[in-house]
Amino acid sequence: MSEKIYAMTLLLVVVWPLLLAIPILRAHLPWPRHLAIIPAAVLILVFQDVSLDLDWLLLGTGFAIDANVRWMLMLSVAVWLMAASVSTDSNRDTADDRAATFFLLTMAGNLGAVLAADLVGFFCFSTIMGYGFYGLLIQGGNAAVRRAGRLYIIFLVAADLALFEALLLAAFATQDLRFIAVQQAMAGSATTSLYFWMAFAAFVLRAGIWPFHLWLTSLFKSASVSICLLVVGLPVATGLFGALRWLPLGLSASAGPGLVILIIGITAVLFGLFRLFSRFSNRMLPGWGTVVLSGLFIAALGVGLMQPAVWLQYAYLQYPLIAGIVLLLAVIIMLVGDSRDRHPEHDLAMDRVEALSREVAQRGGVMLQWSQNRVRQIRSFGLALWLKTVRQARRVIDRLKTVNVVSQWTASITMFVLIGLALAWLAM
Amino acid sequence: MNWDPWIPLLVVASSLLPGLLIFGLAEKRMRLRTALNLVGAVVKLGLVGLMLWGIYHEHHYETRLALLPDLELVLRAGPLSLLFVTLSAGLWLVTTVYAIGYLEGSPHRSRFFGFFSLCVTATVGVALAGNLITFLLFYELLTLSTYPLVVHRGTQVARRAGQTYLIYTVIGGALLLLGTVWLYSLTGTLEFTPRGFIAGLETEHRSALIMIFILLIAGLGVKAALFPLHGWLPQAMVAPAPVSALLHAVAVVKAGAFGIVRVVYDVFGVETAADLGVTAPLAALAAFTIIYGSVRALFQDDLKRRLAFSTVSQVSYIALGVAIAGPIATIGGVVHLVHQGVMKITLFFCAGNLAETLGIHKISEMDGVGRRMPWTMAAFTVGAFGMIGAPPVAGFISKWYLGLGALEADQGWVLFVLAGSSLLNAMYFLPILHRAWFRQPPDAWPAEHDFGRKETAWALLLPPLVTAVMALFVGLLASYPFSPLEWAMLIAEREFYRP
Repeated sequence: MSEKIYAMTLLLVVVWPLLLAIPILRAHLPWPRHLAIIPAAVLILVFQDVSLDLDWLLLGTGFAIDANVRWMLMLSVAVWLMAASVSTDSNRDTADDRAATFFLLTMAGNLGAVLAADLVGFFCFSTIMGYGFYGLLIQGGNAAVRRAGRLYIIFLVAADLALFEALLLAAFATQDLRFIAVQQAMAGSATTSLYFWMAFAAFVLRAGIWPFHLWLTSLFKSASVSICLLVVGLPVATGLFGALRWLPLGLSASAGPGLVILIIGITAVLFGLFRLFSRFSNRMLPGWGTVVLSGLFIAALGVGLMQPAVWLQYAYLQYPLIAGIVLLLAVIIMLVGDSRDRHPEHDLAMDRVEALSREVAQRGGVMLQWSQNRVRQIRSFGLALWLKTVRQARRVIDRLKTVNVVSQWTASITMFVLIGLALAWLAM
Repeated sequence: MNWDPWIPLLVVASSLLPGLLIFGLAEKRMRLRTALNLVGAVVKLGLVGLMLWGIYHEHHYETRLALLPDLELVLRAGPLSLLFVTLSAGLWLVTTVYAIGYLEGSPHRSRFFGFFSLCVTATVGVALAGNLITFLLFYELLTLSTYPLVVHRGTQVARRAGQTYLIYTVIGGALLLLGTVWLYSLTGTLEFTPRGFIAGLETEHRSALIMIFILLIAGLGVKAALFPLHGWLPQAMVAPAPVSALLHAVAVVKAGAFGIVRVVYDVFGVETAADLGVTAPLAALAAFTIIYGSVRALFQDDLKRRLAFSTVSQVSYIALGVAIAGPIATIGGVVHLVHQGVMKITLFFCAGNLAETLGIHKISEMDGVGRRMPWTMAAFTVGAFGMIGAPPVAGFISKWYLGLGALEADQGWVLFVLAGSSLLNAMYFLPILHRAWFRQPPDAWPAEHDFGRKETAWALLLPPLVTAVMALFVGLLASYPFSPLEWAMLIAEREFYRP
């Protein structure tokens, strides 16, 4: 009986926000964005593996939660709660109502992708998430955010195409499209290489990993705090999560692809660090931080491909690592401050958000006020600490007289270095 | 009394009789005309439902009437024909409701609905045809019954478009007739048979069979809008929106594509066609048309023209699926017959709503229209995402099986065509959605009609909503029993695996 209830909860996690995304259905509900997260929050508390096969859905799909997925679900719930808390929930305004639709649609897509038990489900829900997120960006963003959003959707379409082709290759190799089965089938398939690169390219594009980070860093320049939180919590986190689930890691050694990916990861880290320190600004700290941390993750994937034994040894760290990266970035975003501090040209939507936050604080009473004060204190302290570290780092760089090189560092130079490294490897 | 042999004939008659009665009705008899239209559509749908149940339980529905010595008019229900009949009957009901709303207050409605019913009669006849001569008869009736619909508005542009349509389709019909007669002279039969009826002739009459195949495909390719025979389709966009929906989703274009499926499967047989080497050029032509149609669509500012070129592209998926000549690709091609119909009719209904309600005909006039007509644009969004092939809308399922079928048939190049087409679809549909949902609406629309608190008339709003939900559910519940996908699997199984 309880298993059936758990399975229904699993389904409800995705279906509930989807239903609330329909304006008529949420018209008379208070706080629909918060209400939509409840089934997911409940599911986190169910400390047992649950799965639900839906043979009639799409091409036959299902949802499942285990210890690894629970990490990601916790992360998603945290991100959505944070984002919901800084968003409006008034249904009186048409623009707010439309933003709520995109918000809930994106949430359903994200939770569906996290809980999907197979490739088709992941593809379907992550696509819904991607387009919903685009709507969210364009709906609430200023001109710069909308520009970044346009770039995002180009990458999203390209990523979807690559992922679809990878999906076809996987389906051709095995009829069982659950993640484990596909990883095992693709490890020994004739089309492994093509599948691998298609899937990898798709996740690099989706997560905004170097060299496809342009939309991501542009967003961090001008987006609001809630959007920045969602950027790291949705495209970036789901991209990294997807890479873990789709790529045949820890099964057989792939020295060549592993090295290339390691180089891409290291280059991303170096590029991110150089850009961060060469033109340091608080505003761009989360952006370049994302490039650096996602680069680190990619480098780890490369090592895992080269050394499957090492990968398996630290397998338990994979999902907590993603959660850690995202939470660290979320903390940095909160510390750096909201878009008013970072960007004077904040839009009208942000005014409404802040007005509502104040209203919430008044109505919610002491607890909320107290939490806000604590967050501000931690933020000030953390920011001071971080700036001190950054200043020290810059002094070191200045002493090395590399600033000129760093400030003129461009993507083309990075690419040149990368190609050089690849050529050196080939020569060896 | 066993009614089974008469049911196919009744299905045809269920729209023919109301059509003939409507021709005789005075213009002011609106209620009677509406009743005749709707009763005919509902009865047809009921009869089709009965046949669906029967075919699933191995019943046999066949009507034979003597036509000429040695030639009979044969109407037969099989899985393939029923797939098309169900699509036509279902969408006819929806289109009838839409047309009643669309043409409210306009002149010559009896004439319009008379030909409208005739058009569906012809389409159902094409679907149920049990031999090539019956197919040809209804195929020509389709040409003759749609011409008055294309020129319905009676303007100079409409007449010119109608003339182009007639020239193309009459020439197509002539080529089809030539191929049919030639084939009959070689085989002595025109009866559609699973895996074809020309097996054994390919060594002796190889060149003749190749020529016949070319003639038949050219004849059918006109209505299926295969490149370079597609020229009539964008011009025919001057017709009223229900006619456009009929041309693109229910009748004309589908009849051509369905004919290609029939010729490859039930005239030549997939294996014989592959042995003759005619499937590869057909696949190449279909692939080229897919890309060509999408590229042309990119540069159209007129919404209906963009949708028309999109049809040119999308219908060729059906031909491509058939020409790949494998069971999985067959599923993809055949199921797209239904999926494309449901998605495209949604888009045309929405285009009609925009034109009728706000006077919007061009994409450049669509700024912020999602705020003024959210339900219409929500339906349009579902249709557009389906065309791109984004899950979970129906188009994703078609592309999935086409891609998988291409890999199975060792024709990996098709994946690039599918990817290219999806990319181009995204390039010409997403900007429309962006414009409609995220741009500021203008101070005034080109020609706004007031519908009170509603965004438009119910008769105009309900059909696209119904078809959009269908497009979504057909994809979402693809693996459900009786879904188009399950039906397409049954067709592929009978074509490829049954002894």
